Amino acid sequence: MSDTTYVQVLDLACGGLLLTAVLVLWRRELSVIVRVFAAQGVAVAVLVAVLATHEGSAELGGVAVGILVLRAGALPWLLRRALAGAGPARRETRPLVNVAASLLAAALLTLLAYAVSQPLVALAPSPATHAIPVGVTVFLIGFFVLVTRRRALSQLVGFLLMDNGITTVGFLTTAGVGLVVELGVSLDVLLAVLVLRILTTRMRETFGGTDLDELRELHD
Amino acid sequence: MSALGVVGGVVQPLVVVAGSPIVVGVMRQVRARLEGRAGAGIGQPWRDLRKLFGKEPIAPRGTSEVFRFAPLVLVATTLVVAVVVPFVTTESALDPVADLFAVVALLAAGTVALALAGLDTGTAFGGMGASREMTIIALVEPTLLVAIFALSVRVGSTNLAAIVASTLDDPSRVISPVSLLAAVALVVVIVAETGRLPVDNPSTHLELTMVHEAMVLEYAGPDLALVELASAMRLTVFLGLLANLFLPWGIATSVSPLAVLGGVVAVTVKVTVLGTALAVGEVFLAKLRLFRVPELLAGSFLLALLAVAASFFLA
Amino acid sequence: MNPIGAALGGAAAVGLLAAVVAVVVPQRVRAWAAGVGTAVCGAAGLTAGIYALSGTTFFLTLPALLPLSGVTITVDALGGVFLAVTGAVAVAAGVYGIGYARHGGDGRVVQAVFPLFVVAMLLVVCAASVGTFLVCWELMALFSLLLVVAEHKRRPEVAEAGRWYAVMTHLGMVAILAGLLVLAAHAAGDSFPALRDAGRHLPPAVAAVVFVVTLAGFGSKAGILPLHAWLPRAHPEAPSPVSALMSAAMVNLGVYGIVRVGFDLLGGGPRWWWVVVLALGAVSAVYGILQAAMSTDLKRLLGYSTTENMGLVLVGVGAAGMFASGGNRVLAGLALAAALLHVVNHSAFKTVLFLSAGSVLHGTGSRDLDALGGLRTSMPATTAAFGLGALAASALPPGTAFVSEWLLLQALIHGLPASGTITAIAMPLAVAAVALTAGLAVATFVKAFGVGFLARPRSDAAENAQESPASMLIGMGIAGAACVGLALLPGLVLPAIGSVAGRVVDSSSPMLADAVTVQLVGVAGSLSPLMLTIALVVAIMLVIGVVRAVAARRARRAARLWDCGAGPMSARMEYTATSFAEPLQRVFDNVLQPETDVDVTHTRESSYLVEAVQYRRQVPDRIERRLYRPVLALVAVWGSIGRRLASGSVHRYLGYGFYTVCGLLILLVVTR
Repeated sequence: MSDTTYVQVLDLACGGLLLTAVLVLWRRELSVIVRVFAAQGVAVAVLVAVLATHEGSAELGGVAVGILVLRAGALPWLLRRALAGAGPARRETRPLVNVAASLLAAALLTLLAYAVSQPLVALAPSPATHAIPVGVTVFLIGFFVLVTRRRALSQLVGFLLMDNGITTVGFLTTAGVGLVVELGVSLDVLLAVLVLRILTTRMRETFGGTDLDELRELHD
Repeated sequence: MSALGVVGGVVQPLVVVAGSPIVVGVMRQVRARLEGRAGAGIGQPWRDLRKLFGKEPIAPRGTSEVFRFAPLVLVATTLVVAVVVPFVTTESALDPVADLFAVVALLAAGTVALALAGLDTGTAFGGMGASREMTIIALVEPTLLVAIFALSVRVGSTNLAAIVASTLDDPSRVISPVSLLAAVALVVVIVAETGRLPVDNPSTHLELTMVHEAMVLEYAGPDLALVELASAMRLTVFLGLLANLFLPWGIATSVSPLAVLGGVVAVTVKVTVLGTALAVGEVFLAKLRLFRVPELLAGSFLLALLAVAASFFLA
Repeated sequence: MNPIGAALGGAAAVGLLAAVVAVVVPQRVRAWAAGVGTAVCGAAGLTAGIYALSGTTFFLTLPALLPLSGVTITVDALGGVFLAVTGAVAVAAGVYGIGYARHGGDGRVVQAVFPLFVVAMLLVVCAASVGTFLVCWELMALFSLLLVVAEHKRRPEVAEAGRWYAVMTHLGMVAILAGLLVLAAHAAGDSFPALRDAGRHLPPAVAAVVFVVTLAGFGSKAGILPLHAWLPRAHPEAPSPVSALMSAAMVNLGVYGIVRVGFDLLGGGPRWWWVVVLALGAVSAVYGILQAAMSTDLKRLLGYSTTENMGLVLVGVGAAGMFASGGNRVLAGLALAAALLHVVNHSAFKTVLFLSAGSVLHGTGSRDLDALGGLRTSMPATTAAFGLGALAASALPPGTAFVSEWLLLQALIHGLPASGTITAIAMPLAVAAVALTAGLAVATFVKAFGVGFLARPRSDAAENAQESPASMLIGMGIAGAACVGLALLPGLVLPAIGSVAGRVVDSSSPMLADAVTVQLVGVAGSLSPLMLTIALVVAIMLVIGVVRAVAARRARRAARLWDCGAGPMSARMEYTATSFAEPLQRVFDNVLQPETDVDVTHTRESSYLVEAVQYRRQVPDRIERRLYRPVLALVAVWGSIGRRLASGSVHRYLGYGFYTVCGLLILLVVTR
């Protein structure tokens, strides 16, 4: 793959990442959020595949396929299953921070991410490392979603966004953190989603809804 | 182990064993005379010992080997000290044992044996005597060891032969503040360790006032004889130690029979004089309450500490 | 193949194997497996220590075993002393544990962790990098915690003791971590040679911080005031072989840490460090033995006695440091040799004492001295063992501690002539503290032995006492033999200890010891414990012979004790441990401040007539009251303030995390 194509596809993938993250923050329907998350999974897989072709590493290519299967296939499927049992509550009701303010916050977080990643980029300037701030942004936006959404499913998506951001930064800085570590992390994430899915079902059965703001008994 | 040491090792225990009841007899006679009594005579302690050795030995029910062995251990430790300390000759029969710390610790070991025997009887008197004696011993230790420290600074060693020899070489050292303070502190220590007034009354049998007598209340016959002999020997040994640490003149420095005889006479005279002084002091003193004794011992500790400080600051 | 490496490898392998076997085999054989494994492990450690003392060294790096720092192991002569001591104690405790486990501490976890604890202690001594040291230290703390709470199902006090122990040992570890990390930050790496080089060139303020912080951590492990509160709580509640291991092997590692960091890594340091060490040691010694003298719980008494002996060891270490910083290397070597010999002697007699206390607990079910007594008829072997240990602990000749205290006193005494004012004040006070400690120790052990074992039984538990099984007696016998050997023939260990001490302070060995006499080099002094003992034995024979010759030959008649004519003596008339210690408690009233509770119940009809009076007196640990309670109250106040942070809303909790992350990132950007 020539250098310019490589840089272009890389930038495209990163743009896709950023766009999907902002879309998660913007849209309020839960089914749309899940679809957008699947799209982000594809973007991450493309990113890793591009890195694999540039490095010429078959292992990395295998990891890219695995990421595609997990983050663009298995996880969105599980989320859709959870959504199917949700019934009429298919929209995110008023988030803690309204949409306009959330987008503003996203912009601020992007700036913070760029400021923080400067020394990392300056350490080894290359097209891959120039994309690190995007990964950090996705992480911060994911954390923000986790904090400010009321529905358990949205919070789950926020958590998965954080993980996507961390994976991206990891691959961009070291071209892979080792197959074993990636496998382990992915397994962790899968288990977390499974457990949280069961929890949401239980919460719905017991409380008739998954609005976390109404659960205030977790204190001394 | 030189010839002088061997001679000393043989002569000293004989002199101490034979002479200590006489010393006790002299002290009792002096007290009697001062108190206006006729007194029993100097030889009475020996007469008592002879009577006791002829009696039937007793084993109180409920006591064990600890009770039976304690008088033996007491006499044995005092005997070893008598062999080792330079009383008659400057050189000791067992020089590596003639260390001031070792000697003091041996004498304490004897007292501990007696305290255990007191506890072994299981009577309230035995326990009481043991408890009081151990309290006094615990409080006497700091004074004793710091006084030894003061004595050893000038000499550079705690070996008894070395201390005695260096005092012989430099007589003027005795009048220094260090020696005087250490001597006064040691006098109080000796009074406490041998159980004389004002710390303990050796002739009382009231439970309010007994310390040493309470521990040995159950002994009779030959055991009591050994205990009495041992306490007389301890008194003699302590007085002899005090005498030779501070006033060693007359001690034998060569093996000639004349020198040895001179040494025996010198130590006998010194011990008798000191014993008489102690007895005279006892006449004028009353026994202190047990809980006033720590004050006395604290005062003597202060004197010993001042002795050490003086040895540094006046050096 | 390096013998030390072989021995250490063998010890680790046997320990792990014994742990695995103890988990797997059925209950009948479990105690045997664990006990034999621990004993073999200990024997291997002892061999390694002896080889190290004779001059062999061993060096090993395993960079892959631990992430980030790897494992570095170095065994030198100083480590050899502690290896040998730990190994020897483990042999006795292991054999003893075979019989003790039948008393109830038979659980899988407890038996499996026992050999692992010994292995962890051996590894701490060998560690030669910060990472290895801290990992092994933490393993040792963890295993010992598991062993301390072994009996928590049967007795609730055990859980509280375990909590105190866990918190204090981890606070200590945090202190050690902080100190070593500060030192490593100034060094090129985290291995001990790198730290050694850095330590020579540290700015004085940094070195002082490192020393003080590590002194706090290691001192807490050694049971030094004011961080000693875990010791008298944890040691009574742990099973007896574990108490023996903790008191006779684990607390030594605190001393090892202070010597290693102070003398070896930091290169000596200014005099005020060692004055602090000396002062802490002297205060711990006096306070420890005072509390022991007041204690009526047998194992608590022994725990406080450990504080006292470690205090004496620190007096020696502090004096060594003071002399070394003043340039007097010979005396420094002598003081350090005295301290190390006291470590060895203390391990020997403390093992005997704890094992026989455990035997008493096993045979009577009680640790309370006020309820014991008369055990010499029903438990003669245990009585003999405890008597030997008590003689050894009370620093009387011909006991074990007498030699090391003599050496310590000689070192302190000869420090006076060529020194400054501080030394001139410190030395007499140190001698006075050592002397007071010795006197109180004599009183304490006379109380423990006399009240606990002699006279008549004071309760049914003591009356129905039974002697312990053979394996426990053998364990006590091993430790007792070590005590006797060290008492009569200190020349067996003194040359090695002298050369180790000399090497640590950069001088030659401070004493010459042949089989009979100990002769000091450079200062005048000599002692022969063997000659003293032989003289005593000869004198006793002589006295027996003379009495036989002089006294009338009649058989001993049994007679009544003097009971004032009032009838047979009951057990209630005997002196108890509390009454024995009462004069001492009155003398030291201001220090101890006992609490007295008098409860008077009046009759229903009139308040002038008394129906019942209840009297309770307790001697609390003053340091705990004064120092710990305010700290704990402060922590509780912070906790209740912090409770307001937990409002109940999940969003808020998540928000805390988010704000913290963002805040840190902003801070990072701004402070670049």
